[in-house]
Amino acid sequence: MTAYILRRTLLMLPTLLGMTAVVFFIMAAAPGSVAELLISSDGEMRAGDRQARIDYIKERYGLDDPAPVQYLRWLHKVSPVGVFTDSTDDRVAGYGLRVGTDPQGVATRLGLKTPDLGHSFIKNRPVTDILAETLPITLLLNLLSVPLVYVIAIFSGVYAARHRGGWFDVASSSSMLALWSVPTIWAGVLLQGFLANESYISMFPTSGLHGLRAGEMRFLPMWGDGGFAPGWLLDTAWHLVLPVVCLSYGSFAFMSKLTRSAVLENMHADFVRTARAKGLPDRVVLWQHTLRNSLLPLITMGAFIIPGMLGGSVIVEYIFGIPGMGKLMIEAIEFKDQEVVMAVTLMGGVLTLIAYLVADLCYAIADPRVSYE
Amino acid sequence: MPEPKPLLQIEDLAVSFPGKGERGRPAVRTQAVDRVSMSLFPGQTLAVVGESGSGKSVSALSVLRLVPTPPGHYDRGRILWRDEKHGTVDLLTRNEKQMRSVRGNQIAMIFQEPMTSLNPVYTVGSQIMEAITLHRAVTRAEALAITERALRDVGIADPAQRLKEYPHQLSGGMRQRVMIAMALACEPELLLADEPTTALDVTIQAQILELLRKLQQEKGMAIMLITHDLGVVAENADVVAVMYAGRICEYGSVLDIFDRPMHPYTRGLLASMPVLGKATHRLPTVMDAATIPGDFPEGFIVAPHVENPHPVDGYGGAAARLYEVTPGRWVLCTPAPGHDATPTLPVLDYKRDTMAATS
Amino acid sequence: MSDAANPKPSPPITADGPAAAGHASVTPRRSMTRQVIGETLTHWGARLGLVWVVALVFMAVFAPLIANSQPIAVRVDGRWSSPMLVHLGALDVTLLVTFFAAAVLVMLRRIAARWRWLALLGVVVVTGVIAGLTVSVPQPVVHAQWRVAQAEGRAERVVFAPIPYSPNDRVRDRVRDQSIDAADLKDVGPWWAGHPHNHWLGQDPLRQDVASRMIHAARIALGVGFIATGIAMTLGILIGAPMGYFAGAVDLIGMRLVEVFEFIPGLFLLLIFAAFFPGDYPEIIPGLKIQRIYLIMGIIGLTGWAGYARFVRAEFLKIRKQDYVQAAKACGLPLRSVLFKHMLPNGLAPVLVSASFGVASAILAEATLSFLGLGLNEDPSWGKLLDQAVKSGTFIWWIAIFPGAAIFLTVFAYNLIGEALRDAIDPHTQR
Repeated sequence: MTAYILRRTLLMLPTLLGMTAVVFFIMAAAPGSVAELLISSDGEMRAGDRQARIDYIKERYGLDDPAPVQYLRWLHKVSPVGVFTDSTDDRVAGYGLRVGTDPQGVATRLGLKTPDLGHSFIKNRPVTDILAETLPITLLLNLLSVPLVYVIAIFSGVYAARHRGGWFDVASSSSMLALWSVPTIWAGVLLQGFLANESYISMFPTSGLHGLRAGEMRFLPMWGDGGFAPGWLLDTAWHLVLPVVCLSYGSFAFMSKLTRSAVLENMHADFVRTARAKGLPDRVVLWQHTLRNSLLPLITMGAFIIPGMLGGSVIVEYIFGIPGMGKLMIEAIEFKDQEVVMAVTLMGGVLTLIAYLVADLCYAIADPRVSYE
Repeated sequence: MPEPKPLLQIEDLAVSFPGKGERGRPAVRTQAVDRVSMSLFPGQTLAVVGESGSGKSVSALSVLRLVPTPPGHYDRGRILWRDEKHGTVDLLTRNEKQMRSVRGNQIAMIFQEPMTSLNPVYTVGSQIMEAITLHRAVTRAEALAITERALRDVGIADPAQRLKEYPHQLSGGMRQRVMIAMALACEPELLLADEPTTALDVTIQAQILELLRKLQQEKGMAIMLITHDLGVVAENADVVAVMYAGRICEYGSVLDIFDRPMHPYTRGLLASMPVLGKATHRLPTVMDAATIPGDFPEGFIVAPHVENPHPVDGYGGAAARLYEVTPGRWVLCTPAPGHDATPTLPVLDYKRDTMAATS
Repeated sequence: MSDAANPKPSPPITADGPAAAGHASVTPRRSMTRQVIGETLTHWGARLGLVWVVALVFMAVFAPLIANSQPIAVRVDGRWSSPMLVHLGALDVTLLVTFFAAAVLVMLRRIAARWRWLALLGVVVVTGVIAGLTVSVPQPVVHAQWRVAQAEGRAERVVFAPIPYSPNDRVRDRVRDQSIDAADLKDVGPWWAGHPHNHWLGQDPLRQDVASRMIHAARIALGVGFIATGIAMTLGILIGAPMGYFAGAVDLIGMRLVEVFEFIPGLFLLLIFAAFFPGDYPEIIPGLKIQRIYLIMGIIGLTGWAGYARFVRAEFLKIRKQDYVQAAKACGLPLRSVLFKHMLPNGLAPVLVSASFGVASAILAEATLSFLGLGLNEDPSWGKLLDQAVKSGTFIWWIAIFPGAAIFLTVFAYNLIGEALRDAIDPHTQR
């Protein structure tokens, strides 16, 4: 089992490298050099800043090196394994073997180091810090959406398959395709416009993750002097409703259709007939024998849903003004903040690959025919 | 010895499925099973023979009411089951809950495809135990013991280890043994065996049939053996029902039928069977040899064999019924004009000499 | 499967058996393509989808006749003229000529389909080049001139298009009721929703007619949908086919490449591409500048090929062991011929199904890019309209609902067609 996970993880490294390389070379192929991009983005920069930036880029990528070399330099910076010096910055210190000294006489070591994701110019902060703030928000959105998608999809898909040809099945099979076709941008705009706008139904907050006074709230809701106080938890949950709905309805529609067809396919399988011939009640036949086998395609799809949802978070966070990784990505792309773009791509890649690995493991657990070897 | 009562009696059963309408014509429902009657006595083996699509599987599935409805529909008939507690009951009128206590408990079934008939995601043991804990009030440990014994009964070595394995880890013959163990775990009075050996190698086929015979003698259960293999019939059956296009065309004891087939289809079927040691240039097809015997009992007219019977009238014509043309022999035919005969239910309490069969 | 679950009765034959059996062979055998199309069209969903797509094509082709601030015909000093014709651009001319050429070619049933396709392609190229060189729109375009002329009585007769506004026509003056205060012009909605203005679907914040922009945007949506999918499909086939055919190491490396493109959230790539190649004429390689619309088509194609490659690979893995492929190889046919002439037609069906879904997602991708402000700058686009619905701070419902609905209906139409196609090609799918 451990060996299996390890092997799968190693197999994913090339994919991860490929993902960052693709993004890097797109940016490198863009008109204008990296340094130019950074410098030209705002002209009113002070002379000192300008020089600082050029130095930074030079140190990190090598200004005049060809793109592959620049990519390798970046890779070395973000890699947790490599050569580093003790002195330059506290952030990049790590553990390793001393391999020599640099011209200034500082010890150079080879070994594990803290990955350095660089420095964001739009925020003027280390990228690692920005990610530490934004990543949990995006993760929260996705971790709320994925279980929601699966639970509702399984119930509605099973119900539709069980009452095949019934009103629910007929209504859902066409409306699920319609729901799947609703563009996220439209759904987001409409939900926000009609349900969170004071000229219509002002039920939900328009944007953000917390109310204005979230900082002063207690954690749990309670009845206070001034009536009902929603508290931090409820306030946040309330802010999350529309984004989560927006993020999950598409995947839900897709999964529901998938569940229905998988259950229908298995309902007529020979082993289901065997189970019925044993005298098992329909409930047991459905939930234990049919569904268990129908879960397999759902698990496989899990690996493909995550990249879609990360893309969806970009739109949802943009519309609802949620300060997550997706919104960060849009801002970074808009101002061509290469470091942030690369870091977010890397994180997206890591998240996707983790999801893939988890889906793979779940599949191996759910289907005894898959061996770990 | 008092006259034994049949364990199972199927009377005039008809099951249909929606058919595809030709362009411009209304859809005619396809009669998968039509006017099927048969009976089974305790300890007896009834072989239902016929080609694919002749309705033999549907007949067997109907006994357990496993034909999916819809699309299937029970049009007519009764399936009388001699229940120890309730006396004789019609299985077609039982509700789903009452049926569940029959399925797997009093009547068990094994299927053609051992590869797909076991759930791939559960261990063999848990699938067998599922049936036991369902029908018997036993503890988990007792159920485990019964499971192990059942596996040992069907000739699986090291059952304690095997029951932890998944179906894909077993060979085809092993899986069929597991299916049999599962079916017999609750000691049913009737076993419906739907082509139990078709998907298996020839040597394994013989082993499985041998096993079924052995278990039948030990437990005294009746077997409805559905097959298209005449060799299997000759070796195992007491009574044979030959089916074509949803109807039984001949019904009689195995010796009678093999000795002197009367219905044209049965004749064709038997003639098309290769005989060991007899050199033939080319085997006759069913159609070639499907002749009406010259000595067909007087007073009855049997229709010639056709490959595609009329969709409404059915095989043998609209008026064809099973008549007992000679004692102990029922043939699908019509009485000759001027002759008076009533169709009867085939009831035949024949059991071949078991010593001879197993020796 | 046992005969219980799937009874296979012998085909019913009546007394006139042989005649009835012969009946089937009398009806002309239909080609696979026709069968699939026929089967697809039995689904009501596919029919509805097709109706919508055909309507869109009409709108796209005849956009200048439907929505144009240049009147179809005017009479000044007793002489008729058609400002609309004068103001047709090169693209308008090409589209109209192509449309009528296609209509004529459909009528010519005698000629083989292949030649008809080639002829159509020829027409497109020739008209495109000629129109590009000769047709020019008078500059500057004064959108309001005929409205003013009519109001002042300079023109005797003016026949306007059904929607008398061009997509980029920023109308500030058109008020039915002169008593309306100019300050109230802030939000101009559809006239049937109580706004006293002559706009079917209202105006956007820049005072452009929403209906007119939506009709012209159909061109972008359809163009992006088809061309981007074409690029993605071609790339997918070119990469996927050798992967499936050679298997082994080629497959291993190819699959990593496919995974790379599948696992980067597609939107990330699109956004990066679109943002790092900005401007109306981005320079894709040093010295080569192209129109932004082609860049958008290209990047949507470039980011979408992985799925097709996966499909083609799977199909080719299946059919590479088949006898006819072995036979083609044994005959010494070149690889190109084996791959694309013998194997591809047999592995194309699932690719075509996913292409239908692909058109939907390409349209969606363009809309999303435009929504996020990285799409086309001047040209109308459904996604950009949708963005304007919320951008100004207030929520303008008519530009939220109509363009969004257009995107939704188009995506839905292609998905419906795709699903019907899939059912037609693979009868095993459970409906």
